[in-house]
Amino acid sequence: MKSTGRGAFVASLAALALGLSACGSDNGDGGGGGDAGGDSGEPIKVGMIADLTGATGDVGAPYNEGMLAYVDWRNENGGVADREIEAISNDYAYEVPQAEQLYKQYLNDGVVAVQGWGTGDTEALHTKVADDELPFMSGSFAESLTDPEEAPYNFVVAPTYSDQMRVALNWIAEDSGGGAEVAVFHHDSPFGQAPVADGEAWVSEEGLDLGYQAYAMPGGQQNYVGLLSQAQSQGAEYIVIQNVASPAAQVAKDIAAQNLDMKIVCLNWCGNELFIDTAGADVAEGHMLVQPFAPITSEKAGHEEMTAYLEEQGEDPASKGTSWVQGWMVMHVMAEGMEKAAEDGEITGPAIREALETMGAIDTGGVIGEGNIEFSADSHRGSTSTGIYTAEGGEMVEVEAGATP
Amino acid sequence: MATATGIYHRTYSSELRLRSTRAELFRLGLMVVLLVVLPFVLDNYWLSIVNTILIAVIGAVGLNILVGYTGQISLGQGGFLAVGAYSSALLSERMGMPVPLAIAFAVVFTAVIGTFFGLPGLRLKGLYLAIATLASQQIIEFIIRRWGWLTEGRGYITLDRLNVLGWTLPRESFEQSWYWILLVLAAIAVMAARNLFRTGLGRSFMAVRDQDIAAEAIGINLTRAKLTAFAVSSGFVGLAGALTAHYTETVTWEAFTLNVSIMYLAMIIVGGLGSIAGAVYGAVFMSLLPVLIRELADVVGPAAPWLSAQLPAIQNAIFGLVIILFLIIEPRGLNRLWERAKEYIRFWPFRY
Repeated sequence: MKSTGRGAFVASLAALALGLSACGSDNGDGGGGGDAGGDSGEPIKVGMIADLTGATGDVGAPYNEGMLAYVDWRNENGGVADREIEAISNDYAYEVPQAEQLYKQYLNDGVVAVQGWGTGDTEALHTKVADDELPFMSGSFAESLTDPEEAPYNFVVAPTYSDQMRVALNWIAEDSGGGAEVAVFHHDSPFGQAPVADGEAWVSEEGLDLGYQAYAMPGGQQNYVGLLSQAQSQGAEYIVIQNVASPAAQVAKDIAAQNLDMKIVCLNWCGNELFIDTAGADVAEGHMLVQPFAPITSEKAGHEEMTAYLEEQGEDPASKGTSWVQGWMVMHVMAEGMEKAAEDGEITGPAIREALETMGAIDTGGVIGEGNIEFSADSHRGSTSTGIYTAEGGEMVEVEAGATP
Repeated sequence: MATATGIYHRTYSSELRLRSTRAELFRLGLMVVLLVVLPFVLDNYWLSIVNTILIAVIGAVGLNILVGYTGQISLGQGGFLAVGAYSSALLSERMGMPVPLAIAFAVVFTAVIGTFFGLPGLRLKGLYLAIATLASQQIIEFIIRRWGWLTEGRGYITLDRLNVLGWTLPRESFEQSWYWILLVLAAIAVMAARNLFRTGLGRSFMAVRDQDIAAEAIGINLTRAKLTAFAVSSGFVGLAGALTAHYTETVTWEAFTLNVSIMYLAMIIVGGLGSIAGAVYGAVFMSLLPVLIRELADVVGPAAPWLSAQLPAIQNAIFGLVIILFLIIEPRGLNRLWERAKEYIRFWPFRY
C-alpha cells in the first residue's frame, strides 16, 4: 500500500521534470553573450569589474572614475551610433571569485563588452569571455593576454608590463653605462610576476650588462627595510617596482630614511602622481616613472576633451592622475570599436572584436605612447611605446616620449 | 499533520529510517519539487549562484565532519580545496585522465594530504590545533604560488569544458547541466555524511569531540578516529575543490586563500556545528548573504549612493555582525532555529 503511494509520487515527479524540461528547452539559450545587441535606441550595456576598495584600490578607484566619466561625456555628445552607453559598474575588491560572480551577472544582463581590472581576474575570465564572445579590456597588461590564439577576446590597450620592463631595462643600461645591478620588487601576485621572467630573458637576449634579481613584496608590511637590505647585499643601484603606488612610495621613503643610493624605476601602476604625492616631493625627487598614459598636465591633443569635460563638471583637471586618464582612454578605445561595429552592422561581441581587429589605428591624441593604438587578427597588443618620466619638484616631467623596447 | 503523541517504531527497518513521520516526508517531497523546478525558473546568473552554493554545501559538510562532529578546529579548508582543485586539474589537463577519474583521484589525494596535516591533531587541541592547521593552509598556499611547474609558470591553469566519456557540456545549457551534476553529487555527499554518523565510526568521532579521555577509556582508538576524521573530511573538501576547478574552468591560487577557510568556518558556525543540515543551511545562507546585500544596494542605490560605494566594506561588516549575533543569540545556528520553529508550530498553542 505504502510502496505504491511512493511509486506514484516518484512517477509524478519524473513526469513533472519531463514536462518542465520540455518548456525549458524553448528558452534555454539565454547563455549566449553576443546575441544581446538589441534594437537601436536601446542603451548599449557594458559591464565593469572595478577595484574600489581592494588591494589595488588606490589606482583602481580613479581608473573606474575615469571610465565612468568617459561614458558620461560620450553620452552627452551623442553616444555610440545614437545609442547611449549604459555602464554597469561594481566593486569586486580584488577578489577573483567576486569577479567571476560579477561576470556571470553581466553576462545575464546582456552586456556586449566587459571592462575588467586585475591580472588575476582577467586571466581567470579569459576563457569564459572567449566562449561567450565578449570583448574584454582590463587594467592588466600581461603579455599572455595579447595573443589571440590564447585569449581571442582580450585586448591590451597599452604596452604590456613586459614591454614596459624592457623599456625600463634599456633605460637603466643606458643611464648607468653598463655594469649596474637591478633589483625587481614586484607585487606578490600574477600581476606582479607578469614581467619578471620576460625582463630576465630581455637582459640575456639583448646582452645588456646588468645584474637582475627579483624579490616579491610581501603584503601588510610596515616598511621594506628588510627587502632593501637584501637588494643592498646584491649591490643594486636600480630598483624596478611592479606594484601599485602606495607600497612603491613606502620603498622610496625607506630608501630616503636609510640614505641608500638607489634609484627607483616605477612601472605603470606606480609610475604616477599618486606615487609622488604619497612619497612626498622631496623623497620622490629623481626617481623614474615608466608610464604609457600621458598625465593630464602634459596637455597632449587627446587631453582636450578630458579637460573640457572636467571643467564643465566644475573639477580641477590637475587633480586627476594618470590612472584616471587610463580609464578614460581604455573606455575610449572600446567605444571606438563599438562605433565601428555599428557602422558595419550591429553592436555585438563578435562584431566589436572584428571592428577592433580591422579598423586600423585608433588615434589617442598622443595620450598612449606615441599616440596610435592598433590591433590586428594576429596581435591584440595595442601599442609598444611608452613615455618615461622623472619626478621633479613633485611633478611628472617627461624624459622621453614614445620609448619602445 | 503531527498530532501523534510520539514516534513508536514497530520494526527494525522503521527505526533505521532517516525520516519517519509523514510531516518529514512531506517536507522532503516539497524540497525535491523545489530542487527539480529550480533550474527552469531561475535565470543563468541565479543558477550560477545556486551552483556555487551546491559546491559550498559539499565543502561545508566536509568541514563540519571535522570541526562540528570531531571537535578538531581547522583553518586549512582553503588549502585542502586547493589540493583537490590542482590535483584534479593537473590529472585531467596535463595527464589526460578522464575527468570523473581525475576527480576521484583528487578526492583520495586530498584525503591523504589532509591526514598528513591532521597528524599534529594527535598531540594538539583547540587553539593550538587551529594554529597548526593555519600552518597547513600557509604551506599549501606557498606551494601553489611558488612551484611554477604546477602552472607551467603562468600562475593559473585553464581547464577545458567538462567532458564525460566523450560528452562535452553544451555551452547553451552550461549552468543547467552543471546544476544537475552538482545537485546529484551534493545529495550523495549529504546523505553519505548523514549516514556516517549512524555508524560506529561516526559515533567514535562524536565521542572524541565530547570527551577524548572518556572516549579512549571506552576503547576508542583516538589516533585512528582523529586521523580518519581528517581523511573523511578532507575527502569531501577535495571533491568540492575539484568541482570548483572544473566548474570555473580556471584554477588560480587567489581562489583558495585563508579568507576561504574563514568563510567556510563561518558557514558551519552560522548553520550549526555538529549538524549536517546545519552545514547545508550555513552554506546557503553565507553564499547568498553578499549577493542579497548587493541586490539590495542596487535597489536602494539611487537613494543611498554611499551604500554601493562602500559595498565590500559593508558586506564584511555584516558578515562579522552575523557571526557575532549567531554566537550570542543561537550558538547552535540556523539548524537549531529551524528545529525551534518546528517545535513551536507542533506544540502550538502550548509552550511545550
